[in-house]
Amino acid sequence: MAYSRRDVLQGGGILLSCVVAGQSLWLTPRAAHAAQVPYRVLTADEVATVQGLAEALVPGAREAGIAQYLDKQLARAGEGDSLLMLKYLGVDPGDYVGFYRASLASAATAAQNRHGKPWPELNARQAAAVLAAMAADEVPDWSGPPASFAFFVLRADAADVVYGTTQGFERLGVPYMPHLAPAEPW
Amino acid sequence: MSPAPPIPATESVDLLVVGAGAAGSVVAASAARQGKQVLVLEAGPPRELSDLISSQIWARRLKWSGGPVEEDGNLKVGHNFNAGWGTGGSALHQYAVWPRLHAGDFKLHSNHGRGLDWPLSYDDLRPWYDKIQAEVGLSGDAAAEKWRPPGDAYPLPALPVFRQGEVIARGFAERGLGTAPIPLAITSQAFKGRPPCLFDGWCDAGCPIGALANPLVTYLAWARGAGAQVRNHATVARVLHDAAGRRVTGVVYFDEQGERHEVRARAVVLAAFAVQTARLLLASTSERYPAGLANRNDLVGRYLMTHPANSVYGLFLDETEPHFGPTGGQLICQDHYDDKSAVKGAFGSYQWLIANAMKPNDLVGIANTRPDIYGSELAPFMQRAARHMGNMVCVGEDIARPENRVTLTARRDRFGVPLALASHSVTAETDAMARQAVAEGLAIFKAAGATEAWAGPRFGMHIMGGTVMGEDPAHSVVDSYGRCHDLDNLYVAGSGVFASSGAVNPTFTIHALARRTAEHLLQAL
Repeated sequence: MAYSRRDVLQGGGILLSCVVAGQSLWLTPRAAHAAQVPYRVLTADEVATVQGLAEALVPGAREAGIAQYLDKQLARAGEGDSLLMLKYLGVDPGDYVGFYRASLASAATAAQNRHGKPWPELNARQAAAVLAAMAADEVPDWSGPPASFAFFVLRADAADVVYGTTQGFERLGVPYMPHLAPAEPW
Repeated sequence: MSPAPPIPATESVDLLVVGAGAAGSVVAASAARQGKQVLVLEAGPPRELSDLISSQIWARRLKWSGGPVEEDGNLKVGHNFNAGWGTGGSALHQYAVWPRLHAGDFKLHSNHGRGLDWPLSYDDLRPWYDKIQAEVGLSGDAAAEKWRPPGDAYPLPALPVFRQGEVIARGFAERGLGTAPIPLAITSQAFKGRPPCLFDGWCDAGCPIGALANPLVTYLAWARGAGAQVRNHATVARVLHDAAGRRVTGVVYFDEQGERHEVRARAVVLAAFAVQTARLLLASTSERYPAGLANRNDLVGRYLMTHPANSVYGLFLDETEPHFGPTGGQLICQDHYDDKSAVKGAFGSYQWLIANAMKPNDLVGIANTRPDIYGSELAPFMQRAARHMGNMVCVGEDIARPENRVTLTARRDRFGVPLALASHSVTAETDAMARQAVAEGLAIFKAAGATEAWAGPRFGMHIMGGTVMGEDPAHSVVDSYGRCHDLDNLYVAGSGVFASSGAVNPTFTIHALARRTAEHLLQAL
């Protein structure tokens, strides 16, 4: 199913430009996932972790495409013009992939150690307990970037995809008022 | 005025400018208008108005993406957020808040025994402020700025004040403090072919209609119109000098493919922003100058400054429409600016920029004002804040200190140039000033009727110093015109030459100084 740019701007959901079987299509993040549009950097485990973690931080992040957003940006991390907020926060662009990889691995381990489950299977209370520990830098055996920093960055990323798009503004009742509307959310 | 002739294949020009941001654009325009052959080398990609997409996510392309800058200290300068990337530099994403420095900011050491004095006074710079504002078209209400130094009235009336500004202004009035419309380099009416502002709050993402005076619609456009060339993806690696070491002869730069080029020039202006200009000088070592150009006295990179800034946020019962208006704010307060020692144990001026337009996301967006809220509690907060939030930012004065500096690291970029380390800390007196200002801000918000008020973390706003100006070559890198003491035809333009930070946004002063630099160097070119 293909969409015009006008559809993208007027549509009710976020649409991503994806290449499936050699065809360029506009797909929702969920459809892109169902169509098995390949991730270029994130592994299946990392996708599952980031979707579960980001959804717990900012409800709506999974559907808004947090995994596709991060994967797309990380795939071009060395090219400059990164759209990740991480570029403001003192992390070397050459370390972007490592930052997320280490953060997600530690977060996955924290969920397993605390509740014996991966992030997608945590209920709201269990997820909140791990997040609170991350925010307070109180996760045993955490490695990689400080847990509270990873928490801040992942929360901001999730807020980007949920609230930083035309649909996100609409959800809040905030008029978007673009001079030049983005053809794609990111 | 006739356009300058094209640059010949020998790559020898009258004036070579490093950096296509605010300062470089001003110098390039002045020189090109006098018929000089001007080449501007810009490390970043080309930018056009059509690139300025209204999105806080896409806006990040405009921020620094060159060689990584390491940072340390108790208040990092925030290089990647403050610096730009591509044609227009940081002036492409500037907020267009253009107040003037005050007279006392130029005599900090003489008056207070702290920091440095400038080699010129406010009266020396005033005509250049006036000239720039007439060319660019500032909007404001000079009479309402009771603290404003002498100067011509603004050419355009002030922008309107929206609900957020009205609500917060109540708090200032309650506490006996004054407010005035911010002097903005944003058109309130059509000006020289530029349309008036639409108040949509996307300044940070760049203003594609040109209401905000970014270089693409002001000095860089005028420079190009007069024949100046801008070459993108051109990373300058070193500045070359003659055998005597008294004059520079040109630069070496690398293109996107990594090919080395050399351009000769009768004069060179470094306008690559504070950190990168210092880095380039330090990296331009030679037998004559083993510690880098213009660095005989180990002063290049020193006196690095950033404004210690704090945002204050609040929720009001009133509808505030925080998405409307300029990103830089609607109102300004500089009451008590000139009393730098008003609080015991504290030192420095500060100003309030009031009612900044806010979008839901990004580093300074609504969601990140409360990183402690997440999960099911976030959506209700966002819904409420999107309609009822108010905010303002305190811009504080930093003190120029030699230990705050840019140095080179052992790491190198892909062209072999050492990367920069920017080290910056504030003193206890500066810390006390900023803390006192935050307490005042919270009290103002309570007085304005905020049901909740809180302060964000301190951050470094703007970057200044590193190649400071002064009268004495033993204590400064450049003279009052930005000319390096050691080299007759090497100039520095931009905030790097500031000898003090004051507590005002630097872009207006950058323009005024660069205009003065250009007039001076053209006398000998």
